Amino acid sequence: MTVLTLSRRGLLKGAALGLLASTAPIAVMAAAAKGGRLVVAADSEPKNLNPAIVASNGVFYIASKVIEPLAEASYDGKDGLEPRLAVSWEGAQDGRSVTFKLREGVTWHDGKPFTSADVAFSALEVWKKLQNIGRSVFANLETVETPDAATAIFRFSKPTPFQLIRNALPVATSVIPRHLYEGTDIATNPANTRLVGTGPFKFTEYKPGEYYRLTRNEAYWNKQAPLLDEIVYRVLPDRAGAGAALEAEEIQLAAFSAVPLADLARISKVAGIKVISRGYEALTYQLIVEINHRRKELADLKVRQAIAHAIDRKFVVDTIFLGYAAASTGPVPRNAPEFYTADVPTYDFDVAKANALLDEAGYKAGADGKRFSLKLLPAPYFNETRQFGAYLRQALAAIGIDAELVNNDSAAHQKAVYTDHAFDLAVAPPVFRGDPAISTTILVQSGLPAGVGFSNQGGYVSSTLDSIIAKAAETIDTDARTALYKDFQKQVVADLPLINVAEWGFITVARDTVENVPSNPRWAVSNWADTALKG
Amino acid sequence: MRFALRFTRSGPGLIGAVILALLALAALAAPLLFPGDPLKIAGPALTAPFTDPAFPFGTDRLGRDVLAGVFHGARASLAVGLAAAFAALAIGLVVGTLAGFAGGFIDEALMRVADAFQIVPGFLLALAFVSTLGASMPTVILAIALSAWAEPARLARAEVLSIRERDYVAAARIIGMHPLEIAFREILPNALPPVLAFAAITVAGAILTEAALSFLGLGDPNVVTWGAMIAEGRNVLRAAPFLSIIPGLALVSAVLGVYLVSEGVSDALRPREGRAA
Repeated sequence: MTVLTLSRRGLLKGAALGLLASTAPIAVMAAAAKGGRLVVAADSEPKNLNPAIVASNGVFYIASKVIEPLAEASYDGKDGLEPRLAVSWEGAQDGRSVTFKLREGVTWHDGKPFTSADVAFSALEVWKKLQNIGRSVFANLETVETPDAATAIFRFSKPTPFQLIRNALPVATSVIPRHLYEGTDIATNPANTRLVGTGPFKFTEYKPGEYYRLTRNEAYWNKQAPLLDEIVYRVLPDRAGAGAALEAEEIQLAAFSAVPLADLARISKVAGIKVISRGYEALTYQLIVEINHRRKELADLKVRQAIAHAIDRKFVVDTIFLGYAAASTGPVPRNAPEFYTADVPTYDFDVAKANALLDEAGYKAGADGKRFSLKLLPAPYFNETRQFGAYLRQALAAIGIDAELVNNDSAAHQKAVYTDHAFDLAVAPPVFRGDPAISTTILVQSGLPAGVGFSNQGGYVSSTLDSIIAKAAETIDTDARTALYKDFQKQVVADLPLINVAEWGFITVARDTVENVPSNPRWAVSNWADTALKG
Repeated sequence: MRFALRFTRSGPGLIGAVILALLALAALAAPLLFPGDPLKIAGPALTAPFTDPAFPFGTDRLGRDVLAGVFHGARASLAVGLAAAFAALAIGLVVGTLAGFAGGFIDEALMRVADAFQIVPGFLLALAFVSTLGASMPTVILAIALSAWAEPARLARAEVLSIRERDYVAAARIIGMHPLEIAFREILPNALPPVLAFAAITVAGAILTEAALSFLGLGDPNVVTWGAMIAEGRNVLRAAPFLSIIPGLALVSAVLGVYLVSEGVSDALRPREGRAA
């Protein structure tokens, strides 16, 4: 029994209660795939757990089991989607409305029925006004009509591409209960930390610094689910600790590369532990070099091309990511086949060519072999972004550019890059979220105010790219819109407002007893209704 | 010289001196033995130690030579340790001498400032200072000095308080020397020895503080330091423990060397009758 291996007193107490109250022991003894407690590692404790407001992976990791979106990403569903709270969705020809048919017979965890009014409230009051992603996707949402309890019609003031809405469904449409939020200050509502949703698990307990506990929703709309009785998120902020906890069977699963990449080769040989690299296809992170175009040297395309030629993408993939990544060709990852094109200019690793380009640009090496100096700010969020920073410094030294590394904590890094513009080069890990319009075009678009995080704050202005982005935003026809984004990729790689280096998904490490991992391309942040434990 | 003779007869002192001499040699020879940037990627990543003659201590996650890191790290550690201790002692001596000699309001004011620095744990102070001003060698040195100057200041003040009543100070006053001249030319040199005895502890503390700051990612990322090497190795502790152990041993030997030397110095300075025959 896994329960016996839990070390924390609080957990044991919870475990004892859980066992008394549930049928778990019987289910486990019968060796059925149903029941049991899954203990997983959590590396952060988000202050606000409401996924309708904070659409980020750290929040989804916990909240997606409790609060569901209208649709989830899928390996084999139509348009890469499978239904959740909506059973069907259809866009109008003129791009001014989208009609959702909602699932019937769904109840909230507090027993109230789920209706189209909840969807209308979430869309107009939360996604559009408060959510980091919804603010742009639903910017033109005017009203949501609810002709009956199972129909919601989204009406837009300007034509809005249905393709964009569809691609944003898994990440931007978490539905929250209107009856708990209406008439309150949504941003500070207590239900943001004690979640109430429609999902397969109920939010039961949170001990700061120790664990979150979710328990089975007996009244879940899918009667075959969930298979687990409980999910416990043990807070393990120390990344070195997750591997040891897995080996000691204190936890059964660590997602989001909580086990460092360098430890995977060793831990994959430990009996009873498996390393899984699938389940993150719709959560592709991109390793990019952000460029401050206000620096006169970097405003020169030849210098940017030289830097692109100086980066050995094979080294980055093989050594920094230990093979758990792919070299990027442009701003859209291969994992987004709907938009991806390989028909873009390429920059081979070629130090001689890089040096020649810099000579051509007029930046001759001085007596000490240096052409000019730069400030390089690697984002501190991942080991890999910091290691790439250290590598990039060496790669630049090889072409005579003296890069001085500046290390900051997250808050100081964001302020330096996105507000103060106090950088020359920065290393960033933006996420591709299923559609270029969600979080990718903002990386090169001009005219954004200072302070907008993860956006073009390098002072890059290109009328060509700006017009492609603006045109795509109002192109309803899916094929025409896709063609525009292929052109977008070509232009970005040709003009290098930023340099795409690599793209990666995360790694899950789990005990062999955990089954059905992964079952969709956003697995770690999906509802885990079909996840099971072998008895 | 009697002092040198006594020092060499003290076992720990001699061992410490040998360790420090070796480290100093390593620091001085580093740019000759390992020219260029020690952070450059020199070979295949994660080569185990003693397997490749080109990298006797192996290579790290990115393929940087660990031996080159240890040698260049000695430079950083010793330089920061000595510079920070020197700065702390200099500030401490000046403040302590002024406070002790001037007395009255100036003494009160300076000592309350010293109190303020002493009640904040030194490491926290350094941490706050570096994270506000940004990580670079000069700020790290200044941060460590700021967290370590108060003790020598108090020591110097106590010493000055007793010296300023001596006859030669009174004589200097009578011949009309300027008070500052008396303070720094007559009193300070005589108040120096006990403060210098304290220096070794300050140096060892400074080396450790620098390593701890680097370990937390607050060192200068453009310079190799042992603390940063240990921190980098920590991510692969299970797969390649040597990456943390080797710079860790270097750090231990440096701090041990400084302590042993200070032991030897105090042995040598101790009056003869106090020692076992």
